[in-house]
Amino acid sequence: MNEMSWPPQLPQPPVPPPMPVAFSGKRKEFFHLVARGAGLELITLGFYRFWLTTDIRRHLWSNTQIGGDAPEYTGRGKELLIGFLVAIAILVPIYLGYFLIGIEAEHLKAFASLPLVAFFYMFGQFAIYRARRYRLTRTVWRGVRFWMSGSGWIYSLKASLWGLLVVVTLGLALPWREAALERYKMRHSYYGDLQGSFEGRGWEFFKRGWWLWLLTPLALYSTIFIPFVYAGFKAIEWRWWLSGIRFGEVRLESTMRRSALIGLYWKVIGWAVLLGTVFAAYVALCTVLVASIDGSSIEDFFKTDAFAKSIPLLVLLGIGYLAFALAMNVVMRIYLMRDFWVRVLSTTIVHNLEAAASVSARGELANALGEGFADGLDVGGF
Amino acid sequence: MTPDDDAANAAPAGATSVYFDGTSNRRRAVAPKLSDALEIREDGEVVARWAYADIRRADSPSGLLRLSCMTAPALARLEIRDETLAAKLVTLCRQLDDNLPNRKGVAAIVGWSLAAAVSIVLVVLFGVPLAADRLTPLVPDSFERRLGDVAEAQVKVVFDGKPCDNAAGQAAFEKLVGALRQSAGLDNSLQSGVLETSVANAFALPGGKVYLFDGLLAKAESPDEVAGILAHELGHLRHRDSMRELIHNGGTSFLIGLLFGDITGSGALIFASRSLVTSSYSRDAETNADSFAIETMHRLGRPAKPMGELMFRVTGKEAGKGLSIVSSHPLTEDRLARMSKADAGATLNGPPLLSAAEWQALKGICGKG
Repeated sequence: MNEMSWPPQLPQPPVPPPMPVAFSGKRKEFFHLVARGAGLELITLGFYRFWLTTDIRRHLWSNTQIGGDAPEYTGRGKELLIGFLVAIAILVPIYLGYFLIGIEAEHLKAFASLPLVAFFYMFGQFAIYRARRYRLTRTVWRGVRFWMSGSGWIYSLKASLWGLLVVVTLGLALPWREAALERYKMRHSYYGDLQGSFEGRGWEFFKRGWWLWLLTPLALYSTIFIPFVYAGFKAIEWRWWLSGIRFGEVRLESTMRRSALIGLYWKVIGWAVLLGTVFAAYVALCTVLVASIDGSSIEDFFKTDAFAKSIPLLVLLGIGYLAFALAMNVVMRIYLMRDFWVRVLSTTIVHNLEAAASVSARGELANALGEGFADGLDVGGF
Repeated sequence: MTPDDDAANAAPAGATSVYFDGTSNRRRAVAPKLSDALEIREDGEVVARWAYADIRRADSPSGLLRLSCMTAPALARLEIRDETLAAKLVTLCRQLDDNLPNRKGVAAIVGWSLAAAVSIVLVVLFGVPLAADRLTPLVPDSFERRLGDVAEAQVKVVFDGKPCDNAAGQAAFEKLVGALRQSAGLDNSLQSGVLETSVANAFALPGGKVYLFDGLLAKAESPDEVAGILAHELGHLRHRDSMRELIHNGGTSFLIGLLFGDITGSGALIFASRSLVTSSYSRDAETNADSFAIETMHRLGRPAKPMGELMFRVTGKEAGKGLSIVSSHPLTEDRLARMSKADAGATLNGPPLLSAAEWQALKGICGKG
């Protein structure tokens, strides 16, 4: 891992940096990182994910340059593992209680257990907030860390109530929900003693994206439109989000075009189709092979359900499926994490960075419990 | 921008490196000097002295050596772009990479993960069945009955089965169940019925519910066949197998889910490995229920073999169709063989459980009138 930053290249004669935000990481290096990580995930039956996540963040953070200085991710895999274990210890009794209460509720009235799903939604939102706090406190730039105050539960209440409104308005309230939640998150985010804020307005987001709302029925009607609509939405969302971020007098701006992300999603789809075809061919080959060893014809093999009971076939399919899943993981991490990150950064400009020239260090480290909950509940978010 | 461009930014005239003291984010142009320790000098004055043994590498882009120090403020950083100076420092600081993940660390992760996986597998294979056995008697009957009510409502929806209530058929069915219940030694809280559905099956639900599907009744040729099946289901009730299976399945899926984490996206592999484990467990439960059925039938002086024959009629011959390790029941022919063997050693001279007329009424329980 250490050879990444070494040996250094010869310094060049001074030229002022053309853009305040840039990315210097090599794609090949990232590929090696995630491919090796996927292999280790396979060997460790998934436990390596905490360290892989950490390594990916370390790579992305330390190759990003803001005003010529790269931030640093100081989190460690062990912290994520401990956060996950503690989260599991808390979630297990909750799941058990959920099961028992669910039985009682269903007994009284069918679907009476639905409010419990709402509880888990709130828990997920809490996890998102606390996970963001962990990541922020592990982000260091120019020897000073970012940090966060505020309450995960208040955030989760806000997110849930706004979520209800979004459902009631069939998604039209989404821009205002995001604006309100971002205001809360950014108001409680700090870089040293520099307080953050969010100036994006729901109305601006709405103005830029309302036509996508109209296109959604089309996307639901024919899946070919989904990548276009989703990529368009993501680009608008990111541009609006980045352009609203403030830290004291420092201001971010994004010039990302609406079409900037469409290619990425299509590349992932292309890879998925390719890998899916390979996987299907592998499945067919294994089936024929096992059937011929078994001595029965393919037709019999399927007619008698024997294929569902053959151990060699199940093992072969399991291995193939794992390989497929890991390859897909590598593809997604390269396109949807690294390339996505690079595209977002290359269109981001920092204004008035001098306002952050003399910031005093402040803020405490947060624990990784939120990351653990997010892992256990399968939620993600910024 | 290439990493080389910002070298300019980091090295103002007169100083070779940048120092952040960890209390403010001010960039301080400094000149590091290598003596018995690393001296960081700003305008000729020493602002920090870092012992070589305390210096650690921090993450940085390529072309930049970023250092921290164990005894300095946690976020104090020295950034060096001068290649020769950096190379000298790397040789001087022997513990430079101690804090970073390395091969040894990865090996430890792999080792511990495998140990954790082995322990989870052992718990799934031995711990969970034991826990299910020990916990099942502790579950109150009232709770089990509630579970049964929920499951019953679901089953009725899934199979779209209406209860059959032809009066004569119902009387015959109750007579049959009553005889079995007494022979099996179960109390009269037992609920039972025939559901109008063409699926050939029967099942027991937690809290004392036994249901027979009309499809199975249609394939039956004698009361003993149906009685054997019902006795088998009563065996499940007696052993509280549903409850045990619930605890067993819940525990197993939780542990296997924990094992695979998010690596598989979601669940195909989890489902496959879980069905392997739980089906072996359920085969044991089925064998026990068969023993119970054989005993119950013999106590009534009736043979158990007809039950096996009915099952054989439904499933056909099962062996030779691939390995049967994932099927939830033992092979039908094995069960049939076991029952005929048991019958051979018993004196079976009890009266028929139903008269011919009652049998005809039972067969027509789902008909009109």
